[in-house]
Amino acid sequence: MTLSSIDWLIMLVYFVFVLGIGFALKRYMRTSNDFFLAGRSIPAWVCGLAFISANLGAQEVIGMGASGAKYGIVTSQFYWIGAIPAMVFVGIFMMPFYYGSKARSVPEFLRLRFDEKTRAVNAFSFAIMTVLSSGISMYAMALLIQTLGLFHGIIPDQYVFHVSIILSALIVLGYIFLGGLTSAIYNEVLQFFLIVAGFAPLVWIGLRNVGGWQGIKHTLPATMTQSWRGMAHASTNTLGVEWVGLAMGLGFVLSFGYWCTDFLVIQRAMAADSEISARRVPLIAAIPKMFFPFLVILPGLIAISVTSHMMPKSPAVSMTAAQYAALPLSEQHPHGIIPVKTDPLSGQAVLDNKGNPVYNYDLAIPVMLLHFFPTGILGLGLTALLASFMSGMAGNVTAFNTVWTYDIYQSYINKKASDQHYLWMGRMATIGGVALSVGAAYLVTNFNNIMDALQLVFSIVNAPLFATFLLGMFWKRTSGHGAFTGLISGTFAALLHHGLTIPGDSAPGIHGGWIAILHHYPSDMAQNFWTAIFAFTVNLVVTIAVSLVTKPRPESELVGLVYSLTPKPVEHHLTWYQKPATLAIVVLAMLIALNLVFA
Amino acid sequence: MGLDIRIPLGLIFLIIGGIMAIYGLITRHAAEIYAKSMGINLNLTWGLLMFTFGLVMYLVGKRQKWQDDPVNPRPWEANDRPQH
Repeated sequence: MTLSSIDWLIMLVYFVFVLGIGFALKRYMRTSNDFFLAGRSIPAWVCGLAFISANLGAQEVIGMGASGAKYGIVTSQFYWIGAIPAMVFVGIFMMPFYYGSKARSVPEFLRLRFDEKTRAVNAFSFAIMTVLSSGISMYAMALLIQTLGLFHGIIPDQYVFHVSIILSALIVLGYIFLGGLTSAIYNEVLQFFLIVAGFAPLVWIGLRNVGGWQGIKHTLPATMTQSWRGMAHASTNTLGVEWVGLAMGLGFVLSFGYWCTDFLVIQRAMAADSEISARRVPLIAAIPKMFFPFLVILPGLIAISVTSHMMPKSPAVSMTAAQYAALPLSEQHPHGIIPVKTDPLSGQAVLDNKGNPVYNYDLAIPVMLLHFFPTGILGLGLTALLASFMSGMAGNVTAFNTVWTYDIYQSYINKKASDQHYLWMGRMATIGGVALSVGAAYLVTNFNNIMDALQLVFSIVNAPLFATFLLGMFWKRTSGHGAFTGLISGTFAALLHHGLTIPGDSAPGIHGGWIAILHHYPSDMAQNFWTAIFAFTVNLVVTIAVSLVTKPRPESELVGLVYSLTPKPVEHHLTWYQKPATLAIVVLAMLIALNLVFA
Repeated sequence: MGLDIRIPLGLIFLIIGGIMAIYGLITRHAAEIYAKSMGINLNLTWGLLMFTFGLVMYLVGKRQKWQDDPVNPRPWEANDRPQH
């Protein structure tokens, strides 16, 4: 693919701004508080947009577009069931403890509420997870740049992957090193608006092409255009999950485990300028989040609805017009303009074990951009894509440098240094975090679908976590020993469950079944959801059991950390419509309406 | 922080929107470019929309200084106020 200079110019403007924000903020970074917590001075709406943008990384845009093309509108359950209720919960019930306790990070909250060892477990597992996620983002970006041939003719093809990794690493490093969390948050806001600006016209023109939502409904099987159809049984819906697994696994355990405990997102809310603002952050974020399926999932659906009669004038990517025409729209598995997966080394099409071509669903959104966008706006579309990769990476790096500096370095390595030293350490941790991400990016090659890989990491690290926080915040009897043993057993249960079960027809190994095969799940997703459910339940039961036989902490120490011992947030000065609860009700009402429309 | 995000946000939309609109204006008769987008000049229309959004953001950011927000002085401003 060859881009014109106007496309490059638009991308260049973006990168100048990204680094420019870092430079502009450098002079405000005087204390570690400025660097790691943005001085707790950011308005709620800015934090709210950063809150979703930090999560809107590669796995989101590429993975959701891919899932949209593969499974249909049911993918929006990842947003509607899998995010909004948890975001409302964290804003209304949990944020007062996170913000009010003055903890500087989620692991630090665990130390305040429980003890040192519980914090250590969370800090270390979280640090590893962020580096992995950031590596996945980086890998996905480099792979995409390579597949699209963005640098074709500029850099020799065999170096494109490496150059993309190094370049993205340097840019993210640059702006976080200079401006810390504030810089990351500001850039996430830019990224949010660019993603909307880049994808909204794509969806609009795409919908026009396929005859609107009605046209899609007409072309695709009904299971792909209705979000709740066939959920009664795993074999009758495209995800291969029944509704119990979906509601409990995704809607409760995974989603609450992520949105309510993951420091990557909580850090954005902690940077807010007051407790009321902090509580509003996830609620404000929930509103655009709810509509994101239309920006990232719908293009996937459009991509498989476009028939070959609408051919582009010039050959895009590595496909020729003849190849487009050769891809018929089959009844059961429509693939529209989704290209066939090709081996990056030989250039040959990849075939499955039945000899059928494998479609590269991860290219759903990039192919849509190339198919519909003329020069000029194509630069904007690609900028939006690159912006989403950067935001995913930067979110992880800022969370990593904070947890490393406060919860690992300050807690176990150097307890009594000056604040300036910790600020310096934060900058060094940024370099270290980016370097480790690069390492992780080279490790991540065994997974076909980025979503699956991330869900696996989440299931094992995040799933048991929510039980610990739930009991910690809402049951004053929970003890440190209880939380620690529960967390360890929960993680162990997740590993064990993954080792004993296997999805569909996969071979034992990375997909599960590496201990023995006791149970077959209909899909990867079903396995992930149930892994999470098991981990959560084991953690819950073990924490309660151990807490009942160990000594709880005195109640006086738990004020501000446990629901029943903390005064309710003061809201007298707010009129009814300013209260977080009102916003929460609005968000939930919109969620129900959306589900009814696409049921 | 002392920098209002709406200013860089406004500026980037002004510049990118501006580039797209001008390019769209120059190429408005080039049918072969817009065959992909079904004959719609996305550069001109969307560029102008982005430009307008950028202008609004920039002007609002210029007018409403964060210093006017209710939480005043901000924690990081407490020591050296006279800068503004």
